[in-house]
Amino acid sequence: MINFNEVSKIFKSDLITKPFIALDNVSFSVPEGSMVGFLGANGAGKTTSLKIIMDFIRPSNGSVQFSETLGKNKLEVFRNIGFLPERPYFYPNLTGEDFLIFMGQLSDMKVSDIKEQITLWSPRFKIDHALKRELKTYSKGMLQRIGFLSTIIHHPKIIILDEPLSGLDPIGRKELKDVIVEVHKQGKTVFFSTHIVPDIEEICDRVIFLKEGKLTYDGSVSALMKQARNQDYEISYSSNLEIDSALIKDKIKLPDNILKITVPSEHKDKLVQSIVQSQGIIHNLELIRPSLEDIFYHTGTRS
Amino acid sequence: MTLEKIFVIAKTTFKEIWKSKILVNVFLIGLAMMVITYVATEFTYGVPERVALDFGLGMLSLSSLGISLFLGVGLLSKEIDSRTVYMVISRPVPRYAFILGKIIGLMGIQVVNVLLLSMMTITATILLGGQVTELLIWAILFTLIESLMLLLVVVLISLLANTVLSVLLSVVLLLLGHVIRETQDISFVATNPVLVKLLDSYHFALPAFYKLNLKSEVIYKSKITSSYLFMSGGHGILYSLFLLLMIVYFFNKKNLD
Repeated sequence: MINFNEVSKIFKSDLITKPFIALDNVSFSVPEGSMVGFLGANGAGKTTSLKIIMDFIRPSNGSVQFSETLGKNKLEVFRNIGFLPERPYFYPNLTGEDFLIFMGQLSDMKVSDIKEQITLWSPRFKIDHALKRELKTYSKGMLQRIGFLSTIIHHPKIIILDEPLSGLDPIGRKELKDVIVEVHKQGKTVFFSTHIVPDIEEICDRVIFLKEGKLTYDGSVSALMKQARNQDYEISYSSNLEIDSALIKDKIKLPDNILKITVPSEHKDKLVQSIVQSQGIIHNLELIRPSLEDIFYHTGTRS
Repeated sequence: MTLEKIFVIAKTTFKEIWKSKILVNVFLIGLAMMVITYVATEFTYGVPERVALDFGLGMLSLSSLGISLFLGVGLLSKEIDSRTVYMVISRPVPRYAFILGKIIGLMGIQVVNVLLLSMMTITATILLGGQVTELLIWAILFTLIESLMLLLVVVLISLLANTVLSVLLSVVLLLLGHVIRETQDISFVATNPVLVKLLDSYHFALPAFYKLNLKSEVIYKSKITSSYLFMSGGHGILYSLFLLLMIVYFFNKKNLD
């Protein structure tokens, strides 16, 4: 649906300061029907990429292409996009309903259709009780929810969200994630940026990872996990057996004379056999599955 | 379709500013003006209606220029800072529709402001024995055009500079635009060909606000030809259109980061 082709963005504020490369020849795509997480630490270039996609800023090099299913010109394409910026601050003196009607009208909707959508979605977002109140009286979570409602009210084909879960409490995050999943199940493509890895692991099928303005991974979450699986095992046991340290990667003493060792897959069977033969007890044997967080932030990135 | 969107944005901008209760302040200014007018007439002999016109048109000019200056400077920068502009232009809304809608919405507030203070000025003038002349209506209309011009000047500068600089530059241009004619009449300037050329060239690019100031003519009931009125009004409208084109051009090119 979106092809981000060899895009670079260089910021140069004046003649004296050194240019800052926010994006360095980044290419990725967002396939139709997918739920894509856009991951990276703060300052990695996620928001800059989204601003380039939405034509708020222009790239120094490269281009962004939209598939014809979204439309043939910019206005048609934008009619099929729902975008929510990071921590938006809405017009404070408008009521929630005024704001939603305003956003719907900008997407060529009739007021009656907008009101129908508001009636349908506002209870789901738990803001139906506050629609007649001015936005300046809303909490941060309520603003985020009404913002998200405004991004889906016009039936877009793709939803682009910049850090939609930031600043929300755990319950608010869970509720919003559930709605994102629900909207995705209705056939919408979802592309959202975050620096919180478990969110991606939980709900995305694809992940794009940026680090310091460079693309380091673009592919499915499952393939990455499979590729990253190191096939090491953890064995917790009690035994007097002396194990050759060359066969193990790590050894930790636990209470009650229990030892926990990390062993490569090829030595696992041999070691288990040795422990059993020495009358030892095996308490636990487990394949180590690194989380996405381990892969990206602890064990480094992969191309 | 785009016209509808301009209207929707204008309506929302108007509603947002209206609800900020700025016009309550304008109304209070008007009341204060009427009280000051009444007090001042007690110290004036013979021409109380002139005092009413002087204070009334002065307040009208100050409040409309103040609204243009201080609301105009934040018209775009506030939208960018608060990211509301991203919400709007991520919809099928051309950038020019967004900026035109914002300006029209703010001008709607200006119209209400000018109507409110004009009504109060006219009421005070009539109560003090004065008359509503055709020139007074022209003066009110010119104040509206002047405030539109200043609004567009501020918005244009705010696209290229920061908030403080935008206000400062706009105030400088406003003052220059009012004193340029008197400056040309100073004998030192009039006898210096370089200065004459320099000040003449001012009119080619920068706003001549003095053409829209009819205050002293209204107060002293001077005669003004209709061709002067049409030329001055036309200048204000054409210059505003020029500024509007510049704003649309720069806003289309601007990186909204």
